Amino acid sequence: MLPLGWQRRGDSRKRGGTPMTAHPSFLEVKEVQKHYGAIRAVDGVSLSVGPGEIVGVIGPNGSGKTTLFNSILGQIKPTSGRVEFCGEDITGMSPLELSRRGVGRTFQTLQVFGKLSVRDNMIVAAQEFKGTLPGRLFAAPDAGLGHHADEMIELFRLKHAAHLPAGSLSYGQQKLIDIAMAFMPAPRLVLLDEPCAGVNPSLVDQLRELLVELNKTQGGSFVVIEHNMDFIMKLCPHVICMVEGKVLAEGPPKEVQSNRQVLEAYLGN
Amino acid sequence: MSPRAGTIALVAALGFVAFAAAYLKRSDVYLLTLYCVYLMATMGLNLTVGYAGQMSLGQAAFFGIGAYHAAILLKLGWPFFVVLPGAAVACFVVGLALGFPALRVQHHYLAFATLGFNVLVYLVMRNEEKITGGTYGISAIPRPTVLGFDLGGHLAYFYFTLASLVALGLLLWWLLRSPWGRAFAALRDNPIRAESLGVNITAYTLLAFAIGAACAGVGGVYFASLVEFIEPGPFHFSTSLTMLLAVIVGGSGRFFGPAIGTAIIVLLPELLRGSSAPWLKFMQTWYLAVFGVAVVALMVWLPGGLLSIPERFKRKGAAR
Repeated sequence: MLPLGWQRRGDSRKRGGTPMTAHPSFLEVKEVQKHYGAIRAVDGVSLSVGPGEIVGVIGPNGSGKTTLFNSILGQIKPTSGRVEFCGEDITGMSPLELSRRGVGRTFQTLQVFGKLSVRDNMIVAAQEFKGTLPGRLFAAPDAGLGHHADEMIELFRLKHAAHLPAGSLSYGQQKLIDIAMAFMPAPRLVLLDEPCAGVNPSLVDQLRELLVELNKTQGGSFVVIEHNMDFIMKLCPHVICMVEGKVLAEGPPKEVQSNRQVLEAYLGN
Repeated sequence: MSPRAGTIALVAALGFVAFAAAYLKRSDVYLLTLYCVYLMATMGLNLTVGYAGQMSLGQAAFFGIGAYHAAILLKLGWPFFVVLPGAAVACFVVGLALGFPALRVQHHYLAFATLGFNVLVYLVMRNEEKITGGTYGISAIPRPTVLGFDLGGHLAYFYFTLASLVALGLLLWWLLRSPWGRAFAALRDNPIRAESLGVNITAYTLLAFAIGAACAGVGGVYFASLVEFIEPGPFHFSTSLTMLLAVIVGGSGRFFGPAIGTAIIVLLPELLRGSSAPWLKFMQTWYLAVFGVAVVALMVWLPGGLLSIPERFKRKGAAR
C-alpha cells in the first residue's frame, strides 16, 4: 500500500522550496539543552537519524526523553543547541511549521479528537496538506481523502469502529487511532512517544508489524520512545539510551541492552 | 432517526410553520419573525462556541452593528440586497479585527475580552448621537421590496425572514460538512494535536469567530427591518448572555441546538405570558425564577443541552 499522501507531500515540499535531495542525516540534533532553573532536563544531547531509519530512545522515567522530543518538535524552546531537518535549521519552529515540512508526532498521552468519528480523525489528520485554505472550503466533504482514510483504518484493524466517535472507544483502540493519524499525511519523519503505553500486550506485536510496514510503504524515518524493551529491540536497528538528560549509550539494540552502565541506570548498582 | 427521515421531518415542520403562520395573530407572526432573527445570530454563535470552542460574549455587539448598518443605509435608500451582504462583510471584518488581539487569550479571558468589546460597541451606539441617534435611536426603518414584492406586511416579511433563515442554515450546514467544519471540531477538541497535524489554529479560530459575527450581522439587518425602530437597548451585553444561554440550553455544538434554545429564550416567555390557562398563572409570575432554576439544573444534569437527551437515554440503555 502506498498512501496517497506520500505523493502529495512530495509536491507540497517542492512548492515550499525545501530541497528534496537525500541528506546523509535526515534529522540532526546538535548539543540540545533544556534547563528548568537548575534542573537540566536535557543536557547536551546530539543524535542523528538517516532517511528511512528507525531509531529507538530508551531510558528510565525522568531521563529527558519526552523533553527532548518536545524540544525537537517546537512544543518547547530548547535553552541551547540546534535541530536540523534535511539541512534546514528547525530549532524552535512551531509544530504547525514542522508539520508542513513533513514532521509528525504522537504524544505520550492520548490525543484524538473524541467527538469526531474514527474516519473523520483520519481525514482531519491529512486534509490540511491538500490544497489551500479557501480551496478546502469548496472541496468534497472528505477532502478527497476518504479512500486513503479507509485504507488506514483497515490497516490498523479499526474498520468495525470507523463511524463511531473516537472518544467512545477503548484506550488501546484510541492509541491505535492516535498512531494512525500521525501517518495519514505520510510524514517524512515521525516521532512516536511511547506508542505501546496502554496497548493490550496482544496488540503490541501487531503494532510493531504495522510500523515496519508503514516504514516500508511510506519510507519515512521514525524516532520511537518506549519502555517496552522487547518492542524496541525488535523494531529499532539503532537504540539510544538516555539517563539524566544525557545520552548514556547508543548502538545496536543488543549492544545497548548489555551495556553495563545502561543496566545500572535501569536496575541500580 | 436516519438523516433522510430527519430531513423529511424538518421540511414538514417548516411547511407546517409557514402554513400555520397565515392563521396566526399579527403579534404571533411578529414573535415568530423575531425568533428567526435571533436564530440567525445564535446559529452563528453556535459555530464560534459549539463547533470551534471559542467563548464569546460579544454576539449582541455584532447583531447591533448589523442592525445600525441596515438602519442607516436603508434610510438612505440603499437596496436591501446591497445592505445585507455589506452588513455580513462589515461584521466579518470587525470580527477578524477583534479576533486578532482577543484570540491570543482563551476561555474566560476571551469571554471577558469579547464582553469588553460589547460594552464598547454599546457605548458608541448610545453616545455617538450624530450617527446612531443615541438613546433616541433610529426610527422609520423601511422594510425591503424584493423583485417588486413589497415585504412591508407582517406575513410577507415573516416568509422572507424564514426563507433567509433556511438559506443561512443551509450555508452553515454546508460549511460544517466541509473540511473547514472538521478543522473547527478538531480545534475545539484538541488544539495542540490539531496544530501538530497542520491545522492552522489561528486562521481557523479567526474564521470561526468572524463567520459567527457575520451571521449575527445578518440577523441584525433583519431585526432592524422587523422592528422598524432601533435604539441601543437590544444590543446590551445582557443580550449576548441570553444568546449564549440559548446555544447552551439547546445543545452547544449541535446543529439544531440553537433552534431549541432560541425557542425557549424567545418564544416560551411570550407563550406563557399570553396564555390564559389557570395552571400557567403561577409560571407567568415566577417565570424568571423557574427559568433560572431550570438552567442551573440543566447545566448540572445535562451539560450537553436539551438535544443531548436522546444520547443520554441511548447510553443508559447500552449500559444496561
